[in-house]
Amino acid sequence: MQMIQQIISVSVYGSAIALLLIGLYAVLTKKHLIKIVIGLSIVDAGLHLLFVAVGYINNGTAPIFSPGNENRVLQMVDPVPQALVLTAIVIGFATTAVALSLIIRLYKHHKTARIDEIKTLKW
Amino acid sequence: MKKIFVILLLAVIGYYVTSAFQLIPFGENRIGDPTEENNVAAYYMNNTKEKSQVANVVTAIVVNYRGFDTLGEVTVLFLATTGLGSILYRRKEEEEERLNKPSSSLLQTGSKLLFPLVVLLGIYVFIHGHLTPGGGFQGGAIIATGFLLMLIAYQKYHVGHSMLNWVESLAGITFVTIGLWGLLTGGTFLENSFLPMGTLNSLISGGAIPIIYIAVGFKVAAELTGVLDILLNTKEK
Amino acid sequence: MNISPVHYIAFPLLAAFLIPLLAKLHKELVRIVPGIVLGYFLIISATLMMRVHETGTISQVIAGWSAPWGINLVFSAFSGFLASLMSLIGFLAWLYSYRFKKVDDEPSQKYFILMMMLVTGSIGIVLTGDIFNLFVFMEIVAISSYALTAFYTGRDSAEAAFKYLLIGSFASALILLAILLLYTQTGTLNMADLASKMHLVSTPIKASVLVLFLVGFGIESEMFPLNGWAPDAYSQAPAPIGAIFAGVVVKAGVYALIRVIFTIFGFSGAFEPLIILGLITMVVAEVSALRQDNLKRMLAFSSIGQMGVVLIAFGIGTSNAVFAALFLMFNHAIIKSLLFFSGSYLLYNSKTKSINDLKGMAKKNAFTALFFALGAFAIVGLPPFSGFWSKLYLLMSAADSHMFLLIAVILIMAVVEIVYYFRVVGKLYYSKETTDIEVTKPSINGMLVIAFLGLLILAVGFYPDLITGYLHQAADSLMDKTAYIQDVLTANI
Repeated sequence: MQMIQQIISVSVYGSAIALLLIGLYAVLTKKHLIKIVIGLSIVDAGLHLLFVAVGYINNGTAPIFSPGNENRVLQMVDPVPQALVLTAIVIGFATTAVALSLIIRLYKHHKTARIDEIKTLKW
Repeated sequence: MKKIFVILLLAVIGYYVTSAFQLIPFGENRIGDPTEENNVAAYYMNNTKEKSQVANVVTAIVVNYRGFDTLGEVTVLFLATTGLGSILYRRKEEEEERLNKPSSSLLQTGSKLLFPLVVLLGIYVFIHGHLTPGGGFQGGAIIATGFLLMLIAYQKYHVGHSMLNWVESLAGITFVTIGLWGLLTGGTFLENSFLPMGTLNSLISGGAIPIIYIAVGFKVAAELTGVLDILLNTKEK
Repeated sequence: MNISPVHYIAFPLLAAFLIPLLAKLHKELVRIVPGIVLGYFLIISATLMMRVHETGTISQVIAGWSAPWGINLVFSAFSGFLASLMSLIGFLAWLYSYRFKKVDDEPSQKYFILMMMLVTGSIGIVLTGDIFNLFVFMEIVAISSYALTAFYTGRDSAEAAFKYLLIGSFASALILLAILLLYTQTGTLNMADLASKMHLVSTPIKASVLVLFLVGFGIESEMFPLNGWAPDAYSQAPAPIGAIFAGVVVKAGVYALIRVIFTIFGFSGAFEPLIILGLITMVVAEVSALRQDNLKRMLAFSSIGQMGVVLIAFGIGTSNAVFAALFLMFNHAIIKSLLFFSGSYLLYNSKTKSINDLKGMAKKNAFTALFFALGAFAIVGLPPFSGFWSKLYLLMSAADSHMFLLIAVILIMAVVEIVYYFRVVGKLYYSKETTDIEVTKPSINGMLVIAFLGLLILAVGFYPDLITGYLHQAADSLMDKTAYIQDVLTANI
């Protein structure tokens, strides 16, 4: 039982952190703008997964008082990170939408979407 | 060369983040005994059933306890749509046709059949947000997916921008007005006390919570569809 | 209905949702309604500041759940002072852009909505008492700024906005991570509650949270080396928006950083990392400003340098130093806005916005050039303008803490500032040739705004006591962590 707990814990945290790192890698090294935005999305996904993972309680169930479940307060997972994640997902979506529209405009002007061909402004 | 440097940097970051999370055991019960109310989660678990009569604790948190955050988030979506409109603004002469090839007849027939069902599912999800998992944001996203299906399948399909604007604005005004109503009747902003609470687990329960979530559902559906439509830059009618 | 802090947020949101509908009724309403809202902000600010003066911090509960179960808005002497300053700059920016030619076509509806929400979001950052709510308001500010930076359809604005977006999203991710770590250890999201529970957090996590917050909020406050996005964003955005960036948005970023360091972490006394970072920011920014040819970029670098000085002042940590920091923030907001507003009219018709295009403009455009020169004198700290007093108080508090090396560096940087500002003023007045750029006379509302700011600078310069009372109260309110916790956690309505 302990082994299984360990494996689950490592795989959940590990996959969330792996997503974060993969997304960061994409943002830092890729040259095509759309790939950079996808990397940003992956970072967001990893972060949200971390949020939800932190809220889990062993043997817990969804925090909903459906008929028949009204008294199982002691076995419900933490509802607060889930509420925070809802907000964070929507905000991530809004940022991605604005990023994509900026890429459309950049593409119209420069006829290319690769970052090394667009750099007109000094860093 | 640059890639090696980046990989090293990521290894360092990964190491630090992992070691920070080693200190947070997975699945550990940090809420403790709900009746002691040492932290906000315990308070919410203990009090939602009696005070708000809402079955879904996450909905109660999103709409009532932290309703101000939801208001901010709805604003972020609204600003994203507005920002998109301003960034991609083009004068009438410059509008272009969409450039996708016509899709297969399988996709076209399938989309036409699925579209009303998907929208119905979305509406079901956000109406029952306080009873089952789901709510305004989830339901709105489902409806927008239905519209996305139609937009991909048909080249000429187009959602009326003015109708979207009306739905968006009215839903937003509903949300803020419910909040201001609480302020006007001598309480605090967004207070949930002027509608009857109803009984747990019935459709009419929770005071203003279902109303707010329905408004949010419509608003999110309208905004997500609007974003998709602008990004595909269909011609204005 | 009494005036309360939530009016700062509820009414602009109502107006923002109403404007697309009102636009169908009558086009002018799109410009007028944000003005009414921002003007109402001034009324709220005045009322609430007087109330705070008499009865102390106002802590307003939202949704009927008192802190820490719900969210609350805190209007203390400190946050209220910042909120009033932001309302003033916001209103002036609206007045200035009312008939600003370049924002006159169709997207003007979106421009005014975004501008109003930019100011509202910053005021929300300053007033909230809950850290996740702070994050949400920061995102409101971020999305509005990305859209407004890319407002003009020139070649470079989309690139500047994209760079800003990448760095801003990175900042948001770091702040979210820090909030998550804090939540797991303390179980709450309310800032006052966090402050009282900080001793439960283990040291490694405390250190990582501090670093994450420093970097995340440092990006918003334009600390070095995280401010690469700022010069591009300031120079590509429309001038009134540049003024709002310099005078409102960056103040909100610095506020968030200070609130975390002083109240949540509870540091008191000198906080060395902040002094060092502020010092590096100031030096690098002022030296880069020397090399700039584009007027707006020069103003942007100067703005970053000023924020570095503010960070140094907060880092010194004594009550006098915090007073000086607040005075510096006030001066920077009004003087930098004046420079942006007047500079924009001077270079209205220039394609490259280069300083060389300003040669001899004083003869053609006397009004604007005069106020630009006034702003330049004020910001380098010459008496009798208001900038003199803030620099003086800063140097005095640094001397009190025996940081003489610091005083030397600040004075050297002041000389650098004088060089590049007087270079512009010299070109305006004493250049032999006159430029052939066509001159645009500012419209009535532009002239009103510029004149008002100039007179305010002179007034505070001659009678600094006009605002020093408020500033002292604000400084005391920030330094007193226990009073903050008490005011928030015991509020009922």
